[in-house]
Amino acid sequence: MALDIQILKNVAARNANAVTVKLGGSLDTATAPELERQLSPHLAGTVNDIVFDLANLKFISSAGLRIFGNARKIAKSRGGQASFINMQPQIQEVFEIMKSLPGIAVFENIDELDKYLAARQHAHEA
Amino acid sequence: MTLELQATPEEVMRAVDALRSFAHQYGIDDKAIFGLTVALEECAANIVDHTFQRNAQQKFRVGFAMNGESIAVELRDRGPQFDPTSIPARNRSEDETGGWGMQIVRRYTDELRYRRDGGENILTLKKKVLPANSPK
Repeated sequence: MALDIQILKNVAARNANAVTVKLGGSLDTATAPELERQLSPHLAGTVNDIVFDLANLKFISSAGLRIFGNARKIAKSRGGQASFINMQPQIQEVFEIMKSLPGIAVFENIDELDKYLAARQHAHEA
Repeated sequence: MTLELQATPEEVMRAVDALRSFAHQYGIDDKAIFGLTVALEECAANIVDHTFQRNAQQKFRVGFAMNGESIAVELRDRGPQFDPTSIPARNRSEDETGGWGMQIVRRYTDELRYRRDGGENILTLKKKVLPANSPK
């Protein structure tokens, strides 16, 4: 199973330093390096909010978690976070291992994430 | 069923696909298959990445067997002695970005055994499964 990667910058103009990464298929020992390669120019910039949309992800191993963990670390060091949306139950189960780390937020879907980001924005402005 | 594989990530995934097909044949439910295939991916990737440092000239073997109500997966390599079951569960830390592989394996298997025999590392994973088409 291959890995489909789609990286979208600044969706809905929530934050100029946000990227959304849509993943489908299998994020495993064979496909993780390609994701790492495609993510690295974004992580090298000023990105501090990374949204991983996992709606079509069918398989994940620690090779994938490692990339998420690294993205989380970079985003957090810049005052942001890594968010995860649309996780299938089986992916969620593997994800549990790292879920409690700081700088990680899991949302049911994009609406829930948007609500959270709007509230955060509001808190910043207040 | 036994596969002989080269020490590459692509071959690890070939073993994963073969296990998926093997388990499907026995009507094992998707949830159990998912867990087993993730566990195999982790253990085989360990052999490729750590034992053989991704040297594609090296080979390892993976076998599957259905024994009653459990499925057994066996991995064999002739690399230096290494017992992955001895890896302790890591403490959570702020900076953690890895070391989750064996935690995942433990989560998805009912039995995990290592032995060194005749110059081989032999790792056996077992998981209890109920074939989907068997009477409950």
